[in-house]
Amino acid sequence: MTIVYMKDIVKRYGSFRALDHVDLEIEEGTILGLLGPNGAGKTTLIHSLAGLIKIDSGEIYLFGKKLNENIMELKRQIGLVTQEVTVFEDLTARENLEFFGGIYGLRGAELKQRVNETLSFVGLTDKAKSLPTKFSGGMKRRLNIACALVHRPKLLIMDEPTVGIDPQSRNYILDSVRKLQQQGTTILYTTHYMEEVQTIASQIAIMDRGHVIAKGTLDELIENIQHEERIELEVVNEPTSELLVELENLNGVKQVTQDSKNIQVVSSGGAENVDNVLEIIKKAGGVRSVSAKKLTLEDVFLTLTGKTLRDGEED
Amino acid sequence: MTIFFFAIKRCFRNVMNIIFLCVLPILVILMPDEEWLPLPLGFQMYGVILLFAAGRIVSIMMDDRAKGILTRVGISPITHLQYLWQNLLAYSLILIVQVGLVIIAGSLYGHDLIHPFLLFVVYSLFALTAIGFSLAWFSLFRHKETAFAVLIGMVFLMAMAGGMLWPLDMMPELMQRFAMLLPTYWLAESITIVASQGDISELLIPFAMLLLFTIAFLIIGSKRRLA
Repeated sequence: MTIVYMKDIVKRYGSFRALDHVDLEIEEGTILGLLGPNGAGKTTLIHSLAGLIKIDSGEIYLFGKKLNENIMELKRQIGLVTQEVTVFEDLTARENLEFFGGIYGLRGAELKQRVNETLSFVGLTDKAKSLPTKFSGGMKRRLNIACALVHRPKLLIMDEPTVGIDPQSRNYILDSVRKLQQQGTTILYTTHYMEEVQTIASQIAIMDRGHVIAKGTLDELIENIQHEERIELEVVNEPTSELLVELENLNGVKQVTQDSKNIQVVSSGGAENVDNVLEIIKKAGGVRSVSAKKLTLEDVFLTLTGKTLRDGEED
Repeated sequence: MTIFFFAIKRCFRNVMNIIFLCVLPILVILMPDEEWLPLPLGFQMYGVILLFAAGRIVSIMMDDRAKGILTRVGISPITHLQYLWQNLLAYSLILIVQVGLVIIAGSLYGHDLIHPFLLFVVYSLFALTAIGFSLAWFSLFRHKETAFAVLIGMVFLMAMAGGMLWPLDMMPELMQRFAMLLPTYWLAESITIVASQGDISELLIPFAMLLLFTIAFLIIGSKRRLA
């Protein structure tokens, strides 16, 4: 079942199009990793989906129902983990969950049970009576997640939930995300950390300049850009300019870069230049090491957007 | 009513709020009677304390906005209006209870409050105006600290210009006319009517003006949305 269906979404701020005819679908029970450089429109997309901002045109369906016609009903099924820690610092962890459970209509024994379960899920049961001001960064992040989970949303939107925390807390959160998926929650996960998306996402969407420019599994995305071969070598002698020119003149070579005794040769897909490159280098003194680089999500991202993911801050 | 109950709880989780809500009212009661004033000195100044107390507790909502908590509330099935009225109801209740306790304690302490019930109505109404004023005030600012710092000056200016700290007759005529544009003027006017044991009907205009100020402030203050 399609949980999220966004069709031809446009959102303008003045003359700037934050979302420019965006199409996106998320299937039930999946984790969609949403990647994009700064200003790509990720936060605008999330806020549109959560009903926080009105779109200028297009249609958003959640759980098969049109968002703007059923907004209050649909909001009950969404949870948002905000980028910043947005919990009440003058309320204890338990009180925070009671508040957020309460505004979703939970009362009495049901509220108490959900609060206990959620505290246990994020590992904060023993800190239930403590104020968040006494928490570490990781614990605050876990409480931030708990506040979005207490009403058991079917769709959980996580906007960079692991920013600025220690690796142990990050692993805890990533494990929790996997558990939630196993329990049937559909998750939209945005992050600046490629490795997180590679680890947990079943589908990946890449946004740039208000468009979703690619979507698929990691393997599908890599396959789509696999039109280059990269050979990285460490040579014995400092490469001469003649050697670099000779490499550049090889059939299919697009780019040769050199850093001290390291050379990177980028060829068109299918050029199969490894033997030729090695032969030339051997004549010039020999090779210390050689590797044919395997493409990663970082390469996909760079190829599609022309930017690294952590160019600046969030959009 | 989740927001309402938690709003009450949160008002007493801050030391400064407790000072404004619990300690300063005791000073109001303990201040001496002055013959030249229509009411005991503390009660004459009580309006200023109400303005500050309202500023303190309404700023909790500003904190929520600044920290992005309202974004989270905005995604829940709670409307902007529900969030506002439940918070404002809680703040109003707290200040009205405070007014009631101050008047009862003042009477028990031995102050001659002339007509305690009418005084309760006057201060309760002004407490609502003070809450509306604070809401409107904080909607104009991005940072709580800046808003509160300017508010301190503004409250004293309003108290002085409105005739809460000295008789308006001492001021130039132009200033006296200008004072009518301030809610503090109508509070001072109400107190004078109560203290001079005037006809209750004389209070209608000051009450209507305080009510109008409250409505106007609430409309201005509620324009700033949840997220």
